[in-house]
Amino acid sequence: MFETLSLMGGGFLNAVMPINIFAMVVGVTIGIVIGCLPGLSAAMGVALLLPMTFSMEASTGMIMLGAIYCGAIFGGSISAILIHTPGTPASAATAIEGYQMTLQGKAGKALGTACIASFFGGLLSCISLYFFAPLLAQLAMKFGSPEYFWLSIFGLTIIAGVSSKSMVKGLMSGAFGLLLSTIGMDPIMGVKRFMFGQSSLYEGINVTCALIGLFSMSQALVLAEAKIKERARAQKFSDRMLLSREEMKEITPTIFRSWIIGNTVGILPGAGASIACFMGYNTAHQFSKHPERFGKGSIEGVAGSEAANNAVTGGSLIPMLTLGIPGESVTAVLMGGLIIQGLTPGPDLFVGETAKMTYTFFAGFALIQFFMLGIGLLGCRGFAQIARLSDAILIPGVTVLCIVGSFAIRQNFVDVVIMMIFGIMGWLVRKFGLNNAAIVLALILGPIGEKGLRRSLALSGGNPAILFSTPVCWVLIAFCVFGIVSPFLMDRMNKKADEEVGELIDEEPAEFSD
Amino acid sequence: MSDNNKAQEDVRKKGGEPMEKSDIFVCGFVYAVCVFFLVMALRLDEGARIYPICLIAVLAALTSLQTFNMFRAAKKSGVVSGMEGFKSFLPKQFFVILTMIIIYLIVMYVAGFYIATLLFMVSALLFLRVSKVQLVIATGVVIAIAYFAFTLFLGVRLPTGILFS
Repeated sequence: MFETLSLMGGGFLNAVMPINIFAMVVGVTIGIVIGCLPGLSAAMGVALLLPMTFSMEASTGMIMLGAIYCGAIFGGSISAILIHTPGTPASAATAIEGYQMTLQGKAGKALGTACIASFFGGLLSCISLYFFAPLLAQLAMKFGSPEYFWLSIFGLTIIAGVSSKSMVKGLMSGAFGLLLSTIGMDPIMGVKRFMFGQSSLYEGINVTCALIGLFSMSQALVLAEAKIKERARAQKFSDRMLLSREEMKEITPTIFRSWIIGNTVGILPGAGASIACFMGYNTAHQFSKHPERFGKGSIEGVAGSEAANNAVTGGSLIPMLTLGIPGESVTAVLMGGLIIQGLTPGPDLFVGETAKMTYTFFAGFALIQFFMLGIGLLGCRGFAQIARLSDAILIPGVTVLCIVGSFAIRQNFVDVVIMMIFGIMGWLVRKFGLNNAAIVLALILGPIGEKGLRRSLALSGGNPAILFSTPVCWVLIAFCVFGIVSPFLMDRMNKKADEEVGELIDEEPAEFSD
Repeated sequence: MSDNNKAQEDVRKKGGEPMEKSDIFVCGFVYAVCVFFLVMALRLDEGARIYPICLIAVLAALTSLQTFNMFRAAKKSGVVSGMEGFKSFLPKQFFVILTMIIIYLIVMYVAGFYIATLLFMVSALLFLRVSKVQLVIATGVVIAIAYFAFTLFLGVRLPTGILFS
C-alpha cells in the first residue's frame, strides 16, 4: 500500500517535469488538430506520430501518445459541432445536439460543454486506471506459459469484437495477421522463417511500420481515391463558452453516468469510443429532466456523448497495460509505443523501475485532461479553421509523414517498403470488408501466443493437458468464451442505442468519417 | 430508395445478407496466400514448420467457411457486386497519386529525402489543383516538420540518396 502511494507520488513529481509538460501540450494540440480533421482518426494520428517518440524517455513518449489520443477524441467534437461532420466516429453522437446548438447561435456553449464534459470524462476515467490496473497486474504476475497462451487467445477473440460486420472475415484477418507474425526467426528453434532473404526481417515484421501502413498510409490512399471536396466553412461564434452554475448543475449527473458507461465500455474488449458516445447520449436522454430538448440542441446530449467517449480512454488502457491485450485499434497502436521503447506490455510494467514509468504515465494521463480543457477552451476558434483543411493537402502531407516516420525507426529503407506494402494492404482490407485492427492485434499477440504454446508443450513433453492445468487457465478460457459472445451483446446494445437515437435525428444525417 | 435497392432490401429481409461477388476475389487471394506460405513452410525443418502449418490450416478452414457462407447466401438471398466501397473511386486520380508515391520513393533512394519530398509535394499538390499560395505553404510546412522533428530533434539521418552519399 505504502509502496503504491509512493509510486503514485513519484509519478506525479516526474509528470510535472518540463519535458513531460511540453509533451502534453504538443500532444494535446496535435491530437485536437488530427481529431477535428474529418478523415483522420485517433488511431491514425497516434500511429503517424509513433516514431517521434522512440528517442524520448519511455514515460515522456507514452505521455505524448496518450495526449494525442485524448486530444483526438475530444477534437472530433469541434468539427461535429461547427460543420456537422464528426472529426472521428467517437463524436458522431455529439454532432446531433452540437450542430443544432450551432444553428441556434450557441456554438460557443456547445464547444464549452464538450470541453468540460470531455475533461471530466477523461479525468474520472483515471480513477479506474489507478485502482484497477495494479490489481489486475498483480493477478497477471502469477501467469505462466499456459496462461500466457490463453491470454493471447483471449486477445485474439477480441478480433471477433472489432469486426462486428462479419465475424468470419474478422477471424480470417486475424489468422492472416498470425501468419504474418511468424515471419522472422523461430523463437524456439532459431530457424529463419519466411524472410525472403531480408536480414532486416530477422526480428519479424516491424510492428510500428505495419501500424503506420495499416492505419495512416491506407487512410491517405482512401482520401486519394475520392473526389476532393470543399468542406463547409465553420460557423463563426461569439457566445460565451463557459457554462453557468445552473448549466453545470444540469450536466453533472449526465457526466457521472457517462463516465461509468464510457469506462466500462473502454475496459470491455472490442468496444470503443464510437459505441460509448451513442450509449452516453442515449442514457442522457433517458434520464434527462428535459427530454423534449433532445434533437433540438440539448447541452445534456453533448455532455453525455463527450463525457462517455473520453471516459473510454482511461478504461481502454487497463487491459493493454496490465495484460498486454489491446481492446481496440488505438490501444493497439499505443502498445506499439511501449514495444518501440523496448517494454513488454503486461504485469512487468508494474514491477521495479518500470513501475515508475507506468505511474508517471498515469499521472501524466490525469494532467493531460487539464491541458485538454485549457487548450480546447482557448483554441477552439483556431482549430475550427483547421477543420477546413483540404484533403488535397492532407494526402501528400500524410504520405510524407508516413514515409519519414517509418524510415526514422531503424533508418532503414526496407522499413519504408514494408510500410508501403502494409499501406496498400490496409487500403485493400478496408475495401473488401476485412479488418485492419484484427491484423494488427494478431501481429502483436501472435508471438506471445506462439511462445506461450510452444514453451508449455516443451515443459510438458508435448502433452496438451498442461494448457488446462490451472484454475487461472480455466478463468481465461471463460474469458475467451466471453470474448466471442461479447460482440453479439455489444451489437445488440449498439443497435438499441442507435434505434433510440435515430428517432431524434433530423432527416439530414451528419457526414461520418472513418 | 431506388427500386433496385428496395428489391435488394426485400431479399435481405427474407433470407439475410446476399453474397458479395467481391468475396470471391477475397477468398481466392487468401487461398493463394495459404498455398504460397505452405510451399515455403514445407521447406522448413520439421520442428519449425508445425506451428506455421497449423496457422495455414486455420486460415484455409476459415476461408472455406467464408466460401461456404458465400454460396449459401447466393442461394438464399441472391448476389450483389459488393463493390460499394468503390462507388466514389476515381481510378485516374488514385493511380496517378499511387504512381507518384512510388516514383517519390525511387527518387528518394537516388537523390535523397529533401529533393524527393520537394518534387513530390509540388507535383502532387499541382495535380490535386491546390492554389499556389497553399502549395508553397503546405510544402514548406511539411519539409519544416521533417527537418525540425526528425533531423534536428530526433537526430535521424534522412536518406541522402546514392547521388550525394
